[in-house]
Amino acid sequence: VLQGDLGPFNPGLPVEVPVWLAINLKQRQKCRLIPPEWMDVEKLEEIRDQERKEDTFTPMPSPYYMELTKLLLNYASDNIPKADEIRTLVKDTWDTRIAKLRLSADSFVRQQEAHAKLDNLTLMEINTTGTFLTQALDHMYKLRTNLQPGESAHSQDF
Amino acid sequence: MAEAYFPVAPGLGLEENFLSLDDILMSQEKLPGRAESALPRLAFALVQGAGTGDAIPEGSKLEIPLWLAKGLHDSKRRIISVELPKIYKEAWRTVFSADANVVDLHKMGPYYYGFGSQLLNFDNPENLDIAQTILQTFISRFRRIMDSSQNAYNEDTSALVARLDELERALFQAGQKGLNDFQCWEKGQASQITASSLVQNYGKRKFTDVDG
Repeated sequence: VLQGDLGPFNPGLPVEVPVWLAINLKQRQKCRLIPPEWMDVEKLEEIRDQERKEDTFTPMPSPYYMELTKLLLNYASDNIPKADEIRTLVKDTWDTRIAKLRLSADSFVRQQEAHAKLDNLTLMEINTTGTFLTQALDHMYKLRTNLQPGESAHSQDF
Repeated sequence: MAEAYFPVAPGLGLEENFLSLDDILMSQEKLPGRAESALPRLAFALVQGAGTGDAIPEGSKLEIPLWLAKGLHDSKRRIISVELPKIYKEAWRTVFSADANVVDLHKMGPYYYGFGSQLLNFDNPENLDIAQTILQTFISRFRRIMDSSQNAYNEDTSALVARLDELERALFQAGQKGLNDFQCWEKGQASQITASSLVQNYGKRKFTDVDG
């Protein structure tokens, strides 16, 4: 269980609190949420464009950009200017990143690489393709081992 | 989201996994072979319509399940000899290397990769080529499986999996699960408490009258 102190809470003055508390207070209509500085149409457009242009992954302003976007837009969209555009921009960026991830996975498999390094991925993205990719690589590994000569054929013993 | 049952995966190499249902089913698939010597009184097992007590004459062509072929095969080949099934031979291997995506691997014996790996247990000069083809086939088909499994949400996927072999179908499931879990999170269902699939069936059984 977490412990700590927060505040002081003075009306009209902004204060930093953990997201879970912010959402809770908002739901009880006791506060107004201030969106993070990256949750802004121009900034997100820049990120989206860079993502589309580069082959590598853009560093995201937060390792939890998807989760934060979802939480804030669900519970506090009235506090976020141009919320719908923001939602679309984040989704577009996500789609581009996932497409890149798949392209990367396919080329990794085709070239039978032993090792790959992908910077700037967030956990959310990794978890979406992770199980599939690790299973496929597992299969590939076993099929590759078949190529090794020198194992004498086993026959069943009774 | 949690699984109640974790199936044992197939061995997918030279060794089968003893407890894997996929491997058990796979090893029932047949390969063409020949009796190298007369096999007294075994015709009932391997020849259609034979009576008990009939022998298999030397030289007859047989279709032998893999598990039996592995057991009867030894390097002196006194009992049976085996041949490669068509799809692992050179003609089909060329088709696979041209475009592996068009092949219906489900029809070709639904355990293409597993069975192919097992064939490597028999001494055969083509083994290296077979192993290469199997690996390359997997690599070429990978992209399509990944894309289709991660894009088809809440649709009938039977057309997509129809031409996949069992190994690929399991992979497809893994991809679908990733997608479904993500969508579930997106819709906010991930934070809702739902009954576990393990207990959902508890109330549904009825007691039948016990005899005597």
